[in-house]
Amino acid sequence: MIESARSEATKIEAGQPLIQISDLTKVFYTDEIETHALSGIHLSIAKGEYVAMSGPSGCGKSTLLSIIGLLDTPTAGRYSLNGKTVENLDFAERSRIRNQEIGFIFQSFNLIGDLTVYENVELPLTYRQRMPAADRKARVMEALERVGMAHRVRHYPSQLSGGQQQRVAVARALGGKPSILLADEPTGNLDSRNGEAVMELLQELHREGATICMVTHDPRFAKHAQREVHLFDGKVVAEEELKKLLAETSA
Amino acid sequence: MSGLVQDFRYALRQMRKSPGFTFVTVITLALGIGATTAVFSVVDQVLLHPLPYPDSDRIVKVAETFQGVSGTDASPANYLDWAAQNSVFAEMAASRGWPANLSEGDRPERVKGTMVTPSFFSLFGINPILGRGLAESDAHAGNDHVVVLGYGLWQRYFGGDRGTVGRNVRLNGEQYSVVGVMPPNYSPDDYGELWVPSPWGVPSHPLAPDKDPRQFRDRSYLDVWARLKPAVTPQQAGAELDTIGRRLEKQYPNEDDKIGVSFLPLHEYVVGDIRPVLLVLLAAVVVVLLIGCANVANLLLARAAVRGREISIRTTLGASRQRLLRQLLTESVVLALLGGGFGLLLAVVAVPSLLALSPPEIRQFKEIGINREVLAFSFLASIVCGIVFGLMPALQASRSNPSEFLKEGERGSTANRGRTRSVLVVAEVGLSLVLLVGAGLLVKSFARLMDVNPGFDADRLLTFNVGLPSSTNAAQQFAFYRDVMQRLQALPGVRSVGAVSRLPLAGGNSGRSFKVPGIDKDYSADIRVSTTDYFRTMGIPLMKGRNFSESDLGSSLNVAIVNDALAREVFPGQDPIGRQLTNFGPDNLTLQIVGVIGNVRHVGLDTAPHSEIYQLLGQAQWPSVFVAMRSATSDATSLTSMAQSAVWSVNKDVPLANIRTMQELIANSVQRRRFSMLLLAIFAGVAMVLAAIGLYGVMSYSVAQRTKEIGIRMALGARRPDVVALVVKQGMMLVLMGILAGTVLSLAMTRLIAGMLFGISATDPLTFAGVAVLLGAVAFFANYLPARRGASVDPMVALRYE
Repeated sequence: MIESARSEATKIEAGQPLIQISDLTKVFYTDEIETHALSGIHLSIAKGEYVAMSGPSGCGKSTLLSIIGLLDTPTAGRYSLNGKTVENLDFAERSRIRNQEIGFIFQSFNLIGDLTVYENVELPLTYRQRMPAADRKARVMEALERVGMAHRVRHYPSQLSGGQQQRVAVARALGGKPSILLADEPTGNLDSRNGEAVMELLQELHREGATICMVTHDPRFAKHAQREVHLFDGKVVAEEELKKLLAETSA
Repeated sequence: MSGLVQDFRYALRQMRKSPGFTFVTVITLALGIGATTAVFSVVDQVLLHPLPYPDSDRIVKVAETFQGVSGTDASPANYLDWAAQNSVFAEMAASRGWPANLSEGDRPERVKGTMVTPSFFSLFGINPILGRGLAESDAHAGNDHVVVLGYGLWQRYFGGDRGTVGRNVRLNGEQYSVVGVMPPNYSPDDYGELWVPSPWGVPSHPLAPDKDPRQFRDRSYLDVWARLKPAVTPQQAGAELDTIGRRLEKQYPNEDDKIGVSFLPLHEYVVGDIRPVLLVLLAAVVVVLLIGCANVANLLLARAAVRGREISIRTTLGASRQRLLRQLLTESVVLALLGGGFGLLLAVVAVPSLLALSPPEIRQFKEIGINREVLAFSFLASIVCGIVFGLMPALQASRSNPSEFLKEGERGSTANRGRTRSVLVVAEVGLSLVLLVGAGLLVKSFARLMDVNPGFDADRLLTFNVGLPSSTNAAQQFAFYRDVMQRLQALPGVRSVGAVSRLPLAGGNSGRSFKVPGIDKDYSADIRVSTTDYFRTMGIPLMKGRNFSESDLGSSLNVAIVNDALAREVFPGQDPIGRQLTNFGPDNLTLQIVGVIGNVRHVGLDTAPHSEIYQLLGQAQWPSVFVAMRSATSDATSLTSMAQSAVWSVNKDVPLANIRTMQELIANSVQRRRFSMLLLAIFAGVAMVLAAIGLYGVMSYSVAQRTKEIGIRMALGARRPDVVALVVKQGMMLVLMGILAGTVLSLAMTRLIAGMLFGISATDPLTFAGVAVLLGAVAFFANYLPARRGASVDPMVALRYE
């Protein structure tokens, strides 16, 4: 199920990738300090693939996920999503793609406390031009039923458990029928039982054809993915190399 | 559309969710929009609305000029020549005040009448609501005893009885037939309670009512009105009147020497003096509104920081920047509309109070109130406010980087918002300083004005106006006044009584030209006719010579008392006593100066005394006089009913009019200044409080943001005073910047109110410094409170806080 990062080149050539990143770097400038968060990342994710990104804190996982999710822009390098170059799009076009192509699942759920469960799931759909209310409602209910939260439509996030909130967040990500689900430590704020439940839900979605890219530092959950991409100091490294580097660091 | 509805619903939910925020925001906006709406309701009616006459923009007030300086009136002969020779006016009319004793049954009343030419009503384009106006045929001897009533008088005196038309009423002791009633709000001049024609077509001279005035070219007492022909421009009219004026000057070199003719649009004539005051007040209240908007913007910025997570989620889920802007602006506009709604209610309550404070120039506009235009203004002001205070926070929020949020959790970036909030506070302090400086200058001006010696002792003085009908002769009038004076003097509680033709600060004036033997120069001076005891009663000091005496009445020598200003102007370094004034007035009298009195501020406390000549009542006549009674008790008004009885005991048809204490007259004379001073002071006070609240908010927010830093500092040994000093210093830097910016702005802006100042420069350094100290002190407290709170934080708690 898990492939090594070394097989990337083979995969890119083999199939039509949904996400293709080449030689991507991200540098943060604060005052006179340059922080190289990502250095020469090459990554390809095929349609229907379930990829886990792991690595120690500060290795650049979340930065890479932000760039993949068009929440941030790379300093250099190429990034194409669904065959379209996206690294230099303007804000409006990036918003549109985020809204239609990408579903986000966050560690801290990021539901809006003032909105009901229904409204939270409906929210990304309200940003779509000319989507009839009836279609929206059908999509919202379908997504909530998919995650088993249809009976809680009138509840507010504060009235739900952490696991339930994350299921609502997954429903929100699913409602827009995105090309890819990006999950950033989706189990980080959950106990093990709820964490497992969410992982099973993602697994199930993947079996139904969803493309998933998940950031996690928990090896138990990383194993759910087909492939694991290891990051260390802003670079993609092989699993063995990562172990060696981690050992050196701790020594 | 459904998106807008969603935004609207969400805005309402946000308001319900934060009732405290909503309350403070709505109250701030209600104050700002309410005050602005109230002032606008006055500006709208006074400055923006046309006067209530058809094509009122074509009606002008025509007047003579002297040496190129515009006057306000004209002589009958010049009026007739202008009317005959011009081709630019469709119509011309003339009028003059005609105070009348209206006596029906046992209720005599002094009313403000106007003697007019028959064209008067048609020129203003107003038709009577009952009966008819005046016709050409009324302006002939024998037909002239007809009267048109004003609506107010008809309602008040005749109870609105439609049968009044056709009835005879007694005016100035003679029968007049009521021929019509004019509609409400018809008041083209200050006298509009009734209108009568003149038997000569042109209104007669008040001092010579029995003489044909049509040849009078050197007695200017007419108000002249004209309506421009449709195709004629004001420039064309001005050019032609100029030509006519020069022609008449050549034709009548004695009477019309240096006399020209000019005109002023009626609206300008009516509102010209009050316009700058209203514009300054409107500007001031808009500044208050801006400060309120800045405060709300600050609150929204703080809330935007709290809502950073929500905004980031929305952005992450694909909300475009426009969509976010729309949602946030919908929220601010909904807040503003709610504030505007309450502001409107506030304005409904405030307008009557505003009118009660306002001078008569404003109160004459009876329609002032919340009308359709004012409602539209209030609505528009709310929308604009919502956008003004909502745009910056919305722009900042919509530009926030969601990936930062993902990295930083709920903290997000607050540095930029902190800068914006600081800029807003600096602007608030600066704008407040401008208003405070303006208010300070006006308060100081007012104080200086009230310190001005009017030239008389206003304490315990009751004044009123009495007059006999013009049909009575000079002997009858003198006998009446003498009897009235004697009876008033005999009243218990009366110290002394005097009478004068023109009372200081009561409005109105009269002038005469004269010469001095041996000096080849024409002089002019204000003319008064007074009784012997007038100066003593008023407390006007006799500086040289003697007062009038009873023996002067039997003498063939016309005596005069002049004021100090005339003595200095005409007889500098000389003794004026015994000197003669010749060619006095149209009758070319010769007067001999017997005394010099102190100067009296007749026109206003802020106007330097003019040269004055007093004649003795009896040697000269006047159609009506002001009586001044000095009371022995502090309440001069307690003499009123006894005074009325005393006058009625002499003539039952003569009412007392314009009953006021001298203190009231002084207060009325400064009403416009008091109005602008009070309002500007209120606005400045509100601005200062709002700025202080804004500063308090920013510093509280800053302290909350710096809790961890404060904790670290304290853990490292900083004492509480060190922390207070740290925070106060940060806040006072903003205040200092605001004060500096405000001072620069004030130096430019106070020139706009230079014309409203008295005895003080628009850049008075003491006022500037005093206001800066006051604002600095208030700002210090606004800084100190959050600083003290910050310093009271337990360092352990502060460090755990993050």
